[in-house]
Amino acid sequence: MKRFLSLAAVAAVAVLARPVQAQEIVIGNLADITGGTGDVGKPYAEGIKAYTDYINANGGINGKKIKLLQQDYAYKIPEALSLYKKFKDQDKVLAIQGWGSGDTEALKEQVAKDQIPYFSASYSAHLTDPTKSPYNFFCAPDYSTAARAALKYLKDSWKEKRKPKVAFIYPDNGYGKAPIPGAKKYAEEIGFDIVGEENVDLKAIEATTQLLNLKKNEPDYAWVGGTKVSTAVILKDAKKLGLKTKFFGNIWSADEATPKLANGAEEGYMIVLGAALYGEQVPGMKVIEKVSGGQPVASHWVRGWVSMMTMCEVLKIADKAKELTGPGIKKAAETLKAFETQGLTAPITITPNDHRPTMTVSLGEFVGGKLVKKATIELPRKAEWLGL
Amino acid sequence: MSVAHCGDFRQTYREDMKVLETRFIRVSVGAFVVLLYLFPLAAGNYLTSTVTTIAIAVIGALGINIVTGFTGQISLGHGAFMGVGAFACSYYMRVAHLPFWVAMPAAGITTAAVGMVFGLPSARLKGLYLAIATLAAQFILQYLFVHMDFVTGGSNGIVSPPPEIGSFAFDGDRSKYYLTVTIAVMAVLFTTNLIRSRDGRAFIAVRDHYLSAEIMGVPLFKYRLLSFAISAFYAGIAGSLWGVYTGYLSAEQFTIAESINYLAMIIIGGLGSVLGSIFGAIFMTLLPQILTVGTGALAGIFPKIGFLIMSFKEGIFGLIVILFLIFEPDGLAHRWRLIKSYWKLFPFSY
Repeated sequence: MKRFLSLAAVAAVAVLARPVQAQEIVIGNLADITGGTGDVGKPYAEGIKAYTDYINANGGINGKKIKLLQQDYAYKIPEALSLYKKFKDQDKVLAIQGWGSGDTEALKEQVAKDQIPYFSASYSAHLTDPTKSPYNFFCAPDYSTAARAALKYLKDSWKEKRKPKVAFIYPDNGYGKAPIPGAKKYAEEIGFDIVGEENVDLKAIEATTQLLNLKKNEPDYAWVGGTKVSTAVILKDAKKLGLKTKFFGNIWSADEATPKLANGAEEGYMIVLGAALYGEQVPGMKVIEKVSGGQPVASHWVRGWVSMMTMCEVLKIADKAKELTGPGIKKAAETLKAFETQGLTAPITITPNDHRPTMTVSLGEFVGGKLVKKATIELPRKAEWLGL
Repeated sequence: MSVAHCGDFRQTYREDMKVLETRFIRVSVGAFVVLLYLFPLAAGNYLTSTVTTIAIAVIGALGINIVTGFTGQISLGHGAFMGVGAFACSYYMRVAHLPFWVAMPAAGITTAAVGMVFGLPSARLKGLYLAIATLAAQFILQYLFVHMDFVTGGSNGIVSPPPEIGSFAFDGDRSKYYLTVTIAVMAVLFTTNLIRSRDGRAFIAVRDHYLSAEIMGVPLFKYRLLSFAISAFYAGIAGSLWGVYTGYLSAEQFTIAESINYLAMIIIGGLGSVLGSIFGAIFMTLLPQILTVGTGALAGIFPKIGFLIMSFKEGIFGLIVILFLIFEPDGLAHRWRLIKSYWKLFPFSY
């Protein structure tokens, strides 16, 4: 009986573990399609899938095809953990395209131990310090750099004699809090007065209490560190209460759908852009337009596309060096020097001591219900900002 | 195969105290435990760690079954109690430098104390009102997880170090499996015995009719509080093991969703049943994974509608849970009893 059952277990494992073809590169993708962040997670995952199909149809990785295993973890960390084990042990993935802060943070120790490069859509600055998270990568300005760039732009365009006043509104979670210490320090350095800090939850349906608190101090600017639903709530309530504040926010705080949610209150809202907007005149956008068949795609879609594009570039380098392994991919990623993503993002540079992909930040603004590109800010790659 | 009596013919106290009544049951339970220990040798790391998560869920489900299933006090804070255990265990190991073997029970006791504090409203509140009071526990604790940076690492979370014996660290899938499964087996054994004890009978009396129980001399408040404490102790142990399993803890892991999940486990498995806790834990851990892997594989076969198939997952999950509640209102444990009695009398069921 015992022997029979262990044989049965072996057979079950053998059936479950699919054989991997030699000329295939297996990449896992932990995606949120149905979970709490599914509204932005789905287009991101679609972007990843679209680029994979595109590269497979256009020569693959030096002739090798990519096999992308997309799995929906619905933003549940236990599911992300067990899917990660499946990716690692059964599917033997070489690298992983991950998603939010929940899964990325929960897995960062493990991917370092298992030497599996992990490209995330969580852009927390502390993931850029290779001494702490050596196998984590991403392809957009980190949250802190983004906040600094936006602050710099606002300061530079400030005309009055007095110091500008800034407040910070963010959800009380990892994503919301990540850029705040760095941003506050920088704001003080370049001559802002910090006049308020409020927490608005990602699922908030009103923010009047917090905004009334802010109204007393009349901030000229307020940072919004949430996601697009909470941002729309803040903007609408601010309009209702008659705040004169100009709001500006993090990369996930708004997108092309915001005008529909905020119903006009988004006018003048400034946002950090992680990638080119649909229809922008850059070479990479021509390809996307062809792939999407002329259907506009969200900026999250483009970021997924770029993340996969960067990963593929890294895989090509690693493959050429005959080092298609976890450490080999990490090494290859750390040789990226001003990698042009066909103009879809600022050039990406990653070094062994610094995983900040770029210090160039684009800012967009909502004008007349449309998200348009406004400015590009270049920050110095200061060592003391790494990981903060 | 040995047979059980069709009535109560026990003649000694020893016989009366038996958990496993017949030789057949003894042998099959023994074989099951042996198989449980041989399992990782045959299964891959993925299946091994899946069973590890089931074992953690079993401990947690036993805990909430004690307070909700046996004592009749609805608890909506079980997920947060697990968090208390997880963070406490990690804290004792990192800061006080206690070995895991001391830190885990200490974390259990800490959680029990916290559970008692939040069990205090049970002195005055019953039913839905108590449920809301324990819901408050969930949110208060969650707030503390984010803001007690020095213990929990705040919003960045914190590393949870692996247990060690000498120079051997429990950081592989197999060693974590053996650790967790051993503790889960102990928890099952302890619970089975607990509910047969004086205290266990008092719990059931409080649940079935609190007025009669009080008239019979069962101090209601004491036993309600005790059940909260024991339940939280289990949650603390499960949380400590969860920390060992993930190696990393953050407030996002212990949300209201986790609490509801545990409540669903015991409702689906069977309220007031040890076996039900086990079945519920298996069901609620495996079903989402099977659905995830299944829809993922289907999406790979039909890439054009892949995302559509993946979005069905949550819906299917909800549907299965609802169907179970309609057709299996007494839980899986009840179905198990029916299957057993069917085979016992097979083929002459009358």
